[in-house]
Amino acid sequence: MEIQDKMIQSTKEIFSSMVMMDLSVKEVMTTHGVLQDTITGMIGLAGTHKGVLAVHVPYSVALAITSSFLMMDVEEINDDVHDAIGEVANMLGGNVKTILSENGRDIDLSLPSTICGREYSFSSDKEVEKIIIEFDTGKGCFLVEMDLEK
Amino acid sequence: MGKNVLLVDDSKTMRIIIGRSLRQAGIDFDNIFEAADGLEALEVLEKENVDIVLSDINMPNMDGISFLREKSSRDNMKDIPVLMISTETGDDIIGEAKSLGAVGAIKKPFTPDKVNEVLGPLL
Repeated sequence: MEIQDKMIQSTKEIFSSMVMMDLSVKEVMTTHGVLQDTITGMIGLAGTHKGVLAVHVPYSVALAITSSFLMMDVEEINDDVHDAIGEVANMLGGNVKTILSENGRDIDLSLPSTICGREYSFSSDKEVEKIIIEFDTGKGCFLVEMDLEK
Repeated sequence: MGKNVLLVDDSKTMRIIIGRSLRQAGIDFDNIFEAADGLEALEVLEKENVDIVLSDINMPNMDGISFLREKSSRDNMKDIPVLMISTETGDDIIGEAKSLGAVGAIKKPFTPDKVNEVLGPLL
């Protein structure tokens, strides 16, 4: 199974078992535009594979995801939303490590971090291979992006 | 007498989810203590009566492996069982955790059924 298919499978599994949301794939792409009113959770990969795994979630979708994750209404972008989106990135990073790693010790993961803003770009200064998957939650779409150094 | 559990994870969201999964799995604890890293976990274990610890591996300040190593060196807590709950489930990492006293591992994401399957026999 290709990495892309495994990322789709992993993301769907995380959302169905932990976030209590069923996802569908809307589009697979290799580039995206400027992110607007979005929160990004990310995990760095170092070792035999170097790069970053990122989850770009528009504010409205981040609120829906966090509310479902925590089973309570969350109405503003606060620490809980950052923590929830960071944890989604963390679980995805762990799964990506399992997909890419040969022995479990050849790739290290960073701790998750999040950024958010009205408008920002997300790019690498290295030459990377990008896999970007757009998922539909039923309450809006978000992107899962993996950038691996060539 | 009821049992007490300590949840160790730097994500507050994940601590909430694990606590909820315990209840959904039908596993009742008298007290659910929480810690955000290994250092906080050691402080809780010094003060509270804890029957089992569920711990993440990747955490700031003191990660799960260092926590196991430190815990195993303290006579008053070395026998408290620790179950790892982490995205890190490579054989060698879990092997290292087990060599330091971890009694098992659950991979994130998980379901309440999985929690019950692994944790149930330990209680």
